[in-house]
Amino acid sequence: MGAADLHEFSIACEIFEQVLATAKAHGATEVKSVTLQMGRLSHTNPEQLSFCFKAIAEDSIAENSDFLVEMLAPSLECECGYEGTVNEKQIRESDTLTSELLAYVAAIECPICGGQARIVGGRDLIIKSIEIETEEDQTTESNNN
Amino acid sequence: MLMHVIHMGHDVYKANDKIAEKNRKKLDKHQVFSVNIMGAIGSGKTTLIEEAIRQLKDKYKIAVIAGDVIAEMDSSRFRKLEVPTIPVNTGKECHLDAKLVEKALGEIDLDNTELLLIENVGNLICPVDFKLGEHLRVVVVSVTEGDDIILKHPMIFKTAELAIINKVDIADAVNVDAEKMREDILSLNPNVPVILTSKHNWESLETWIDFIELGVKEAQKR
Repeated sequence: MGAADLHEFSIACEIFEQVLATAKAHGATEVKSVTLQMGRLSHTNPEQLSFCFKAIAEDSIAENSDFLVEMLAPSLECECGYEGTVNEKQIRESDTLTSELLAYVAAIECPICGGQARIVGGRDLIIKSIEIETEEDQTTESNNN
Repeated sequence: MLMHVIHMGHDVYKANDKIAEKNRKKLDKHQVFSVNIMGAIGSGKTTLIEEAIRQLKDKYKIAVIAGDVIAEMDSSRFRKLEVPTIPVNTGKECHLDAKLVEKALGEIDLDNTELLLIENVGNLICPVDFKLGEHLRVVVVSVTEGDDIILKHPMIFKTAELAIINKVDIADAVNVDAEKMREDILSLNPNVPVILTSKHNWESLETWIDFIELGVKEAQKR
């Protein structure tokens, strides 16, 4: 898992930099929460990412922020015209599949025509939104400007 | 005190993809064919690249980007073959990303390059999510990793455009069925070409080298 830790660390750095830049641009005094959207096929571990983010955010305005991760199901596209997400329930019930990740790869079979459906989403890692606190008078001031 | 919700929609991987696209355009402009060689630690990535350089360096102008966490062992092996080599020490990183390659491209004379070989950091997980701008994504595994290595790392095989199973000459000694490994790769990615190679079997290496040469010729037609 050593390599994976490092992987999460660099992504957490990127997230921290983006969050802080946006927060500062909006005159934030504190970042209350950070919400991410993560595709299930991304090679990122949400718990490790959260741990790394908290370590990096120490002594910053994001120090006490909640780190929230919403998981996204992989989406498929097939030549037959089918577009949709992977049926997670069906995968979990199948006993021929050995791991969650492998399940997604095997699920490439199109549920409509049985052909090879292409994975078009599910590896995303998106900083969706942040919740920030600003000084009241500072906001008024910037509104007056 | 006022609370605000700021919508960001910043896609961390897309930020990398955008730089990768830029790299790709730059390479296309100079008619350079680039290969991203990913694979397990000790699978023989460096050796396969060395063989390709030996066979192709008199025909084409080659440059190499050698990614390593630390040290420059691989780059010095390539330099011995007298090809321009840019070592990229990723430091704490477990993969090359588009930004690192962008920086390395700045140090390569692309007008005098026809083939760019990029050796990624030995890892079957992290490089998957980071496109570099390459034309061909290759994954290398060897029989010594065990014949369950493929199903343990499905995404890298799913997204590869060429898969190599190396060191097949010692498959029996490590009690591994290389054909099973090939079948596993095809079960994940039915259309990917799979090559079984061994350093001691010239024909097997020729297939790998032909594959690269085909790409170089295609790039020159662009």
